[in-house]
Amino acid sequence: MSYVLAKSQNNEILEAGECGGAVTSILKYLLDEGLVDGVLALSPQDDVYDAFPVFVTDSEDLLKTAGSYHCAPTMIGDLVQKYFIDKKVAFTVKPCDMRAVEELITRHKINRDNIYMIGLNCGGTVSPVSGRKMIDLFYEANPDDVVSEEIDKGQFIIELADGSEEAVKIHDLENEGYGRRNNCQRCDVKIPRKANIACGNWGAEDGWTFIEINDEKGQELIDGAKKAGILETKSPSDAAVEGRSKVENIMIKMAKKNQDATYPTVSEMTEWSRCISCYACRDVCPICWCFENCELNKPYFKDEANIPPVPIAFQGVRLSHMSFSCVDCGQCDDVCPMDIPVSLIFDKLQKKYYDRTGYVAGVSDDIKPPLYSPEKTEL
Amino acid sequence: MSDDLKIVGLLCNWCCYGGADTAGTARMQYSPNIRIIRVMCSGRINPSMIFKAFQEGADGVFVGGCHIGDCHYDAGNYKWSRRSKIVEDILEEFGIEKERFRHEWISASEGEKFQRTMEEFHKTLTKLGPLELE
Amino acid sequence: MFEIKHTLCPSCSVGCGINVILDGEEIVGTFPYKRHPVNAGKNCLNGRNSIECCESKFEDIDSEKAIADASKEIKSCDSSEVSVICSGYDTIEEVEAIKNFAESNGFNIGFYSDDLKNVDDVASYDELAAAGKVFAIGDLLYENPLIGRRIVHAKQNDAKIYALSKNENAVTFNIADETSTSSVQEFLDKFAGEIDDSSVVVFNYVDEAGDLDKLESLSCKVLPVFSKPNTKGALGIVDPKSSDEMIELFDNTKLLLVFNDDITEDFDYDFGRISKIISFACCENDTTEIADIVVPVKSWLEQDGSFVNAMGDEQNFSSVIESDNLGIVEVIEELNK
Repeated sequence: MSYVLAKSQNNEILEAGECGGAVTSILKYLLDEGLVDGVLALSPQDDVYDAFPVFVTDSEDLLKTAGSYHCAPTMIGDLVQKYFIDKKVAFTVKPCDMRAVEELITRHKINRDNIYMIGLNCGGTVSPVSGRKMIDLFYEANPDDVVSEEIDKGQFIIELADGSEEAVKIHDLENEGYGRRNNCQRCDVKIPRKANIACGNWGAEDGWTFIEINDEKGQELIDGAKKAGILETKSPSDAAVEGRSKVENIMIKMAKKNQDATYPTVSEMTEWSRCISCYACRDVCPICWCFENCELNKPYFKDEANIPPVPIAFQGVRLSHMSFSCVDCGQCDDVCPMDIPVSLIFDKLQKKYYDRTGYVAGVSDDIKPPLYSPEKTEL
Repeated sequence: MSDDLKIVGLLCNWCCYGGADTAGTARMQYSPNIRIIRVMCSGRINPSMIFKAFQEGADGVFVGGCHIGDCHYDAGNYKWSRRSKIVEDILEEFGIEKERFRHEWISASEGEKFQRTMEEFHKTLTKLGPLELE
Repeated sequence: MFEIKHTLCPSCSVGCGINVILDGEEIVGTFPYKRHPVNAGKNCLNGRNSIECCESKFEDIDSEKAIADASKEIKSCDSSEVSVICSGYDTIEEVEAIKNFAESNGFNIGFYSDDLKNVDDVASYDELAAAGKVFAIGDLLYENPLIGRRIVHAKQNDAKIYALSKNENAVTFNIADETSTSSVQEFLDKFAGEIDDSSVVVFNYVDEAGDLDKLESLSCKVLPVFSKPNTKGALGIVDPKSSDEMIELFDNTKLLLVFNDDITEDFDYDFGRISKIISFACCENDTTEIADIVVPVKSWLEQDGSFVNAMGDEQNFSSVIESDNLGIVEVIEELNK
């Protein structure tokens, strides 16, 4: 593990990208050298609130993916698993993306040799529809005029077309029920250290990207990009390294505070009576990979007459299948038509599992999810 | 009525099922509320089987496996033992008292332990009364 | 190549956005469209399954021949005995073309809108979520979940929820303060005194035409929710017929032209009594099963168009995949030749 500050040598990328454009440059290097078949990265569609993963095979198109999108809470793990199984592909990951990919690797659903994970430090994401409402309510700006957003120093900052900026404390936004998504508020994995490299602006000086190199593949990546003349690097000062870890620690502290809030049990939550058995939570879950073979589709569990389903026969079964591997990405909350806080319960069970085993989904180094290991140990 | 209490018992073929047999052959008396399902190993029991039993009206679920070290398949009971903790954690979420779910290592020769366990479990469940899932 | 594209959900008139995932020319899945103002990336099971229509496309039909056959049938029939069925599954552009086609040729036109009708000043989804009292007629949580979600929001804002459904196990009942399985008439009479101007009445069925007059005369805003994506849009173009009027129309029809609908689903009628049925459809359904001629047309995934959702917003969508078939508008041009 080592640190570098990096900056793109390509003027176009420098202009389009954030803080040094190192991520876009590294992706360009991978494509130009033919190390990957393509790159999967977020690209804005109709506006900055509307970004989703696009598959880029020509490095000219990479510029469209430059920039960061806090209002696009997407998940890449299941996409890689379903549609890129036999391709060599590089993609950017938030910590939850990384954790999902790691869990899928342990399940032999993704081959580590085929992928490059370019990690992005993440302070949290905001749902686009409620994010726009938030900007409308708490800022003096029209949501349509926002050209970019950023989370920095405990503030959610928006930049407008005329170059002006406006900031509101995240804490204040979240007290009013806005701000980051609920799962992001309690997430304590802020730097994706299982990715080959983890990039961000925390601790970096202006115009540079701070990169933590996590493994050999990551080191090769940086060396290669440097050699290709697309990236310049320098060592960060001790103050920069310290500054970065300070930001991370503050973020983690904030998360822990939110984790301390007491979670109700399923039987105490009235929300579950709204469940319409649409299976959206299961279908979107990056860890659930059985698809049609899901036990819930088996005749002995399929229960179309009972809506809402008997909780233990629906979420209970799902919890037993994968809650210990829940990466708290919050996708299930996002897609639930009935706004049931599904991830709350799965994350809670993963934390209980952590208390018993020390296993953090997608972060711990175990070869197999401990539940399935052949080890002769009891809990 | 406590006599209506339903217990589903998932018993390992190689040990606890034999233990129940031993208890039966020796005419040891215990409450007849248990419905025994024989499985090849406690390690093949999924948490969902336990949940299905509760969903279908069981008031208690009992799992019997081989003593640690005695597993016919080497490590099946270790797997079950770890899994049982997850079951406990999940049951708690759904308002099912953890006393309604019990597991015990009982060998084929331990007919008396099987009898005693059944009696204890029946007593516990009588105290708790029938399970009402909302 | 892997690609994600925006489109609209065609399952009901709520007007949710949905992203589809393409692998080359094939639609392989859906992806949450979180930016969409109506549903914020949330789709019900029907919505996510809507892409399955691609799996039952007509592969073996020679569409040129089918159009020629259809044209011949139409010309051989007396125009007064020809009936054209347009539906809420057709886009605005298609409904207009169908209407012109029927009028210029002197055909009868049939359009069924679940026995509901157009209300000009409907409650918006936001108004529903902000209502002081919600009167929900139909199991909206289950049948139109993204409307149901607004009722949940209203509930969270301390609104009182009154729910009516024929199904005593309706999911909506679980969040309701007052529930009823009576007729719509009785339900409205029972709670007439409680309806005030902060209330919103949202409904997806009525028992009889009289219920509609009653609903319209209420002192609060109402929101009819239809079972098809563009029923509201079609209502602005074509006058609807009641189910009795539709049956009467079928009785007097020798040649029935069905544009992208499954009439067998809406009507319990012996369609064997009609001599010829031509179905213009994008995928197999029970109507194409009984049709004498099937003309394959583009599905909503294969063409540009627009739907008007339940609260009256016209939403455009663009084609997601290519198709060799003609759209309904183009088929009508061919038939008019």
